[in-house]
Amino acid sequence: MDRRDFIKKSLLTLALGQAAPSLLSRSALAAQSKDKILVVVNLFGGNDQLNSLVPFKNDLYYRLRPNIAIKRESVLDLGQSGQNLGLHPELRPLMSMWDQGNLALIPQVGYPNPNRSHFISTSIWHTADPTRKEETGWLGRWGDLQDDPFCDTFIGGASPQAVTGDKRAAPAISGVDSFTIRMPKPFEEAMEREMAQVRQGPAEEVRKAMLSLRGALDKIGRIRAYTNKAQYPDNSFGKAMADVARMIAGGLGSSVYYTTLGGWDTHAAQPTRQQELLGYLAQTLSAFRQDMKALGRDQDVLIMVFSEFGRQVAENASFGTDHGQGGLMLVLGGGVKGGLYGGEPDLEDLELNALKYKTDFRNVYAASLRWIQADAQKVLGANFQPLGLI
Amino acid sequence: MARPLSYQDATHLLRRAAARGRKEEAQKLADLGLEAAVDSLLQDPAPAPPYRTAATTNEKGLQHREITQLWLSHWLTTPTPAAERLVLFWHGHLTSEFRETQGTQAIDFWNQFATFRQFGYGPYGELLGAIAKNPVMLLYLNNAESKKEHPNENWARELMELYTVGPGNYTEQDIRESARAFTGWTVRMPQGAPRGKDRDPNVGLEYVFNPRWHDPGDKTFMGRRIKTGDEVLEILIAHPETYRFVGRKLLAFYLNPNPPQPLVEEAAKVFRNGGTRELLRWLFTRDEFYAPEHRASIVKSPIEYLVGLHYAAGEGKVTLGQKDDDKVAARVVNAFAAMGQIPFDPPNVKGWDGGMSWLAESPLLVRLNLISTFAGREKKLDLEVFMDGADGPLSLVKPEAQLL
Repeated sequence: MDRRDFIKKSLLTLALGQAAPSLLSRSALAAQSKDKILVVVNLFGGNDQLNSLVPFKNDLYYRLRPNIAIKRESVLDLGQSGQNLGLHPELRPLMSMWDQGNLALIPQVGYPNPNRSHFISTSIWHTADPTRKEETGWLGRWGDLQDDPFCDTFIGGASPQAVTGDKRAAPAISGVDSFTIRMPKPFEEAMEREMAQVRQGPAEEVRKAMLSLRGALDKIGRIRAYTNKAQYPDNSFGKAMADVARMIAGGLGSSVYYTTLGGWDTHAAQPTRQQELLGYLAQTLSAFRQDMKALGRDQDVLIMVFSEFGRQVAENASFGTDHGQGGLMLVLGGGVKGGLYGGEPDLEDLELNALKYKTDFRNVYAASLRWIQADAQKVLGANFQPLGLI
Repeated sequence: MARPLSYQDATHLLRRAAARGRKEEAQKLADLGLEAAVDSLLQDPAPAPPYRTAATTNEKGLQHREITQLWLSHWLTTPTPAAERLVLFWHGHLTSEFRETQGTQAIDFWNQFATFRQFGYGPYGELLGAIAKNPVMLLYLNNAESKKEHPNENWARELMELYTVGPGNYTEQDIRESARAFTGWTVRMPQGAPRGKDRDPNVGLEYVFNPRWHDPGDKTFMGRRIKTGDEVLEILIAHPETYRFVGRKLLAFYLNPNPPQPLVEEAAKVFRNGGTRELLRWLFTRDEFYAPEHRASIVKSPIEYLVGLHYAAGEGKVTLGQKDDDKVAARVVNAFAAMGQIPFDPPNVKGWDGGMSWLAESPLLVRLNLISTFAGREKKLDLEVFMDGADGPLSLVKPEAQLL
């Protein structure tokens, strides 16, 4: 623990634990305010770009999707800078961010030799290595270089590959409120004794997991006092992002928060499913930004949203779409230069019925790494020009 | 001459094969000797009780809780618990998700488990053939709606990537062509049974071939000219990679998360020639299976943890140590969700990742918090088979309690 960390922690313990004078709690939070934060949202399953960022002036789009296209009149027009594209109506909560110029839309993001398997493509995004030789996650490699075990945090059940390095993985916290230990005293004492005894092999791995749980319990216990200032949708993604806000507000100290929203694998009955999910996504992101503004941290937090691939262009016979290639990324936050990074997709130049990728995801990663002042070249293993988002 | 089986090795064998056991059972296995002990564990599965529900078609959450309790109680009380751990393996391999599969009822999932039981020990090709025509699978991976005009690729892709040859052994073109071959493989309610909203949740769906949806043309699949889905399955069942890929998963489930490669090669041959029971018999009678580096080398999954713990406490039902009231079933499903493994509902088509991911901070916390619900029943607790190094109830907080 470095000195700054120590001061911060002592002040926070005072501030949150013992109802310290407001002067103290302000300075405690101020010690953090220089730090930039990256929030990554993984839409698992393959979100369909064409029905999220809709080419609503293109007749071919409507011919290729006679049943599932988004009706022209309901698309949210992005105006001049939107280049003939518009948003799905459920993304309305993002429109004010678009108008204020801090929502970046990046269509057809992908990588060379696209893979259409959920698991392989997700792993490529997580390792940032399309050649599939790398086993550690991109943020895991960054985390390996940090001292603080809470340099990054995963909100959910078990940390994914992206935040798993050689030496450590991000702590996985599924919910702030439920994260307390309840055990009769003799068991608690026995556990302390057992944790002090070094073992070998798998049992030692389990012992380390128990130690890291104990560390996390101490940390999370100290941030529980903060309550959200915005209304989040009542579902697991809304709760996860509300907890990210609490972790930031309470001074958990992570530079990276990572979470997942699944269910995007719309092979059948796509319209109702995707509509519901896009609604969750937009309402939650909007609530989160509101919370960050209330905290005075909106300028410090950059949110990056991705999915492992987009979906095929022509619909299938089940009112759905199959796995495709290039997909849509969103980057938003008070410090983001909004706009469309890329153009209208060419629906006549397809590869096995899928959009070709135009932007390498590692250019977007590079921008997000720059945001948290990480060495992008070291993390990504090569020099990727950061997309000019910040 | 019969080979001996020490009591220590018998606890390991029983824990791995069945994920439940008590001292006297381990002793009985040791008394039988190695071969007879393995044979007694690998008996044909005792039938599971039938599922009957008073729930309506819309009450799927209730149905889910009912089959969850039914299965766990069966695992806790059956004379053939090894068959149920194998059902868990097939469920995590030939996956279907309860909440994601539109058009199904709990009875369909219960029938799918019966298929795992019926074919689970036999040749892999027979199990795969049965699952390819299983209504839950047809609906889960959308083949039930796949028509020649626009074939749905979901089943075709996962069949090769996850269920047979594994990544790197097929092309995108193979997926498209085999998706055409499977068009028309769909489901229906039995003749005369009401369907849709009026469906009786006690009557299961069945497979049917719809020739009007089927693409009868020639397809080129893995370099061969074929027409039907059955031909696709034949090619995959004859493919040696299928047995390496699935055989490795079986070894990871029964021996070590990272099984030694020479053993995988040998296992693949036994698996291909003799089926799953022969593979397990071969494994359980090898000296390597009892080597210290493989013992307690697997992290218990939440289902194995709770089944093992309740059995150790002498209980025939998963109650989380609490009063058996009408809220127990909901508490059990919630606990499973928090630990990351909901029965009948894997997180995605790849099943559960398992390993150390079971012990990330939040799920590990839930496991530890559950221990307190067993306080007060210490006298009944027999942890001999549940874990290595047990000496009394406080041992539940040892790292070894998490290992299988």
